[in-house]
Amino acid sequence: MGQIKWRKWNRLIHRDLGYLCVGLTVIYAVSGVAVNHVRDWNPNFKVTETRWNLGPIEADDPRSPEVVGGILLRIGQETTYRDTFRRDEATLEIFTNVGTVAVDLPTGETILEVVKDRRVLKEANILHLNQARGLWTILADLYAVALLVLAITGLFVIKGKKGITGRGAWLTAAGASIPLVFIWLYL
Amino acid sequence: MNIRPVVVAFLAPLAFLAACATSEEAFTQYGEELTLTETTSISAILADPEAHLGDQVLVEGTVVEVCEMKGCWLALAGEQDGDQLRVKVEDGVIIFPMTARGLPARVEGVMEKLEYTMEEALERAQNEAEMHGTEFDPSTVTGPEVVYQLKGLGAVIGDFE
Repeated sequence: MGQIKWRKWNRLIHRDLGYLCVGLTVIYAVSGVAVNHVRDWNPNFKVTETRWNLGPIEADDPRSPEVVGGILLRIGQETTYRDTFRRDEATLEIFTNVGTVAVDLPTGETILEVVKDRRVLKEANILHLNQARGLWTILADLYAVALLVLAITGLFVIKGKKGITGRGAWLTAAGASIPLVFIWLYL
Repeated sequence: MNIRPVVVAFLAPLAFLAACATSEEAFTQYGEELTLTETTSISAILADPEAHLGDQVLVEGTVVEVCEMKGCWLALAGEQDGDQLRVKVEDGVIIFPMTARGLPARVEGVMEKLEYTMEEALERAQNEAEMHGTEFDPSTVTGPEVVYQLKGLGAVIGDFE
């Protein structure tokens, strides 16, 4: 009778904690894949580039409002801008509210780079990487504990041949050995 | 089976996240609050960085570059053409967004000097080329390098005036 009660509570905790954790698990899983490939793509921002060749731009002062406004007009942008920057003799960068215009003055090669947030995914990454800090740190810790409880209670949901004393033992051992193999391979 | 509660359970948090994503402030504070009020000229620092080593300074300029991978550094334009001061922050503690490029910024931090051996300088140049998506040319690194940068403690980016 005592064992039945224990199993019942285990199943109940596993089930209800599972429901509670679904939302957080989706956020952590999607963001996890996104930030895992940070060397191949930017998980927070979408960067688009548009190119033009305006021909050589000769001007005594490339940063003057006339020259900058002329360049912006030629690429179909509004002539208002925030600031300009000369990275080197050949390059003029114009910062607008839309994006950054980089002009190679000797050749006229012009690139408009526009950076936009990856909505929702960026917010998920902020939570996943704990950039929010404060109260979120406590919540993330609680979630980690909940995952641990889910893992442990999950071991005892089913009894018998398919449970932890049968097939479950082999699968648990196989799963636990995966990180060990990678530690052995890489460290 | 009534799927309405399932749909609501999944869509409500997503709608909330999307709503949060659309709210925009004029400026954003990163890291610690700024304590200094007097700014030091970036070009003056770059003209004689040794004189400012260890100094806690407040600098102001347009953000001309941001670390694309981790947002762990940015570069501020100086008053003179070509001058830019690199601001490095602790990884994961402050994260600068790529959208900061072109915005005005005030950053407070401590000037520091980094010395790289030839091998370290090569590795650094290779990482930068990788980040910018350009081809790495080892011949651009001719020897050991000395880099002066600001160890950023706090920043305000955006229209703070």
